[in-house]
Amino acid sequence: MIALKTLNRRTDALVVGGGIAGLQAALDLADQGFKALIVERQPSIGGHMIALSKVFPTLDCASCITTPKMSAAVHHPKIELLVNTEVQSLESTGAGQRATVTRQPTYVDNDKCIGCRLCEYACEVEYPDPFEQGLGALRAIAIPFANAIPQVAVLNPAYCTTCGLCARACPTGAIDYTQEAVTFTIDAGAVILATGFSLNSLNLKPQFHAAQSRNIISPLTMERLLAPHAPYGRVLRPSDGKIPQSIAFIHCAGSRDQTLGVPYCSRVCCMYFIKQAMLLSGALPLADLTLYYIDIRAFGKGYEQFYQNARAMGINFVRGKVLRIEPLADGDLLVHVEATEAAEHCYRKVRHDLVVLAQGMVPPSGGPALVPVRRATDGFFDLPEATDPSGTNLPGVFAAGTAAGPKDIVDTITDAGAAAMAAGRYLQRRRRENSAPVGEAGTRRRVHLEPTMDAVGAN
Amino acid sequence: MATKPLTTEQKQALALFRKRLGGVSKEKHERLKHQVTLRKAIRDFLARQPATIPEIASALARPADEVLWQVMGMKKYGRVREAGDSGWYARYGLIERETEAAAGEV
Repeated sequence: MIALKTLNRRTDALVVGGGIAGLQAALDLADQGFKALIVERQPSIGGHMIALSKVFPTLDCASCITTPKMSAAVHHPKIELLVNTEVQSLESTGAGQRATVTRQPTYVDNDKCIGCRLCEYACEVEYPDPFEQGLGALRAIAIPFANAIPQVAVLNPAYCTTCGLCARACPTGAIDYTQEAVTFTIDAGAVILATGFSLNSLNLKPQFHAAQSRNIISPLTMERLLAPHAPYGRVLRPSDGKIPQSIAFIHCAGSRDQTLGVPYCSRVCCMYFIKQAMLLSGALPLADLTLYYIDIRAFGKGYEQFYQNARAMGINFVRGKVLRIEPLADGDLLVHVEATEAAEHCYRKVRHDLVVLAQGMVPPSGGPALVPVRRATDGFFDLPEATDPSGTNLPGVFAAGTAAGPKDIVDTITDAGAAAMAAGRYLQRRRRENSAPVGEAGTRRRVHLEPTMDAVGAN
Repeated sequence: MATKPLTTEQKQALALFRKRLGGVSKEKHERLKHQVTLRKAIRDFLARQPATIPEIASALARPADEVLWQVMGMKKYGRVREAGDSGWYARYGLIERETEAAAGEV
């Protein structure tokens, strides 16, 4: 990792987003000899994938796949990483793209912090841990999560009481209360947008009463409950710590619904629900697990077999539409469903301890909205050419992974590799153009595509 | 835990930081005070015997989800451990040094 010595930068390829797509794209570009700069707005790279328990259909540990890629990226001599940094705008300069980015203060000097956590142990203030979807506690100064990269502390000013205990405990003098947000520019020959996705709100359907019950949770919350280093250490329901004995999974709760403005399929929900049910059948062998679905979309390699295995394991699949969820006084939930699998449709009421809603995948809010790349009707980046599956409407700007639409991890990694290849080809072509004489005077166009990341001056 | 006094430079930086944040709000103080008070009550209760989340919540007249969050924070930072199950609930007990500390406070 190259330290943040100067601010303005120049690089071959700017990769916006440090999730699995951004990491894969940066690694593929760097292995081709191009210098890549990853900008990540969170304090650690890893994206959504580092928070997952396991991946389908192989049930491999998600962290075991992501962590080596995170580590490879951060140690690669041709990759620079800027965390806590967000793209504010992107403009074409003729010679390439210029991104204006803002780096938020962490109040910790990354060059001095050794990740010992003594500041975290000294701090007394705790708040709901965003990495654990609020289930666990995180201290006002802390390393964001166990396998975060970079492994350095971050101070959250929204919760800090300025007691100074962290500075007193730090053995290396890394606490730096004087840090401020800084804005600078990055000149790049090509840009890969790997900005990922968000999930829409649990509260979109008022008939599900998600705001009234802690036991109606998101799929990412279930991922954390199932993770090896889970916030509770086991699967418990958030309202009272009960070991759930009946868990419902409601498919298409935030997508495939015109009334929600998300008419498209989120593509991954069927499979991650089947995966979560399979993992729960191991964690809670006596639990009753029911998936309420419209239809199962098991389109990928090995997915149909995965689905059939789940059925054979005794997981209940009920085809139908959930009408409403009724929170009960003891924390249980009464699911009202119109089941459609029988010859005659029947209306049922089923009591569950915990309900997971399949939220829809939507474009992330924030910085990327300022990037002048055309959006498709679903709000994700538009990829206009069928023969160029990574290219956007702007030359030299490519999209990878879920930034262009919902997709699973396998497709995201494949997509990131394709985007890196397209960006590499674009950079090579521009380099050739740059080295060829142009015009009668034989002057060459000045484009900074030579593989250099020398700083071009501080702000 | 070994701590050292703040240097003059650090004190000045901290004062500037506090000023930039607009001071420490009453809300932050209240939140911390609530956390410290509730955790002391949980420690005192668990010093007698391990208990489930609903038992602690009932004894302290606090919502069970709030008690669960506080206990999980104490568990993460090594003050509470799981101590078996009771029906469909896990029981939580103090880690030994915490038991001694709580006994000393009573």
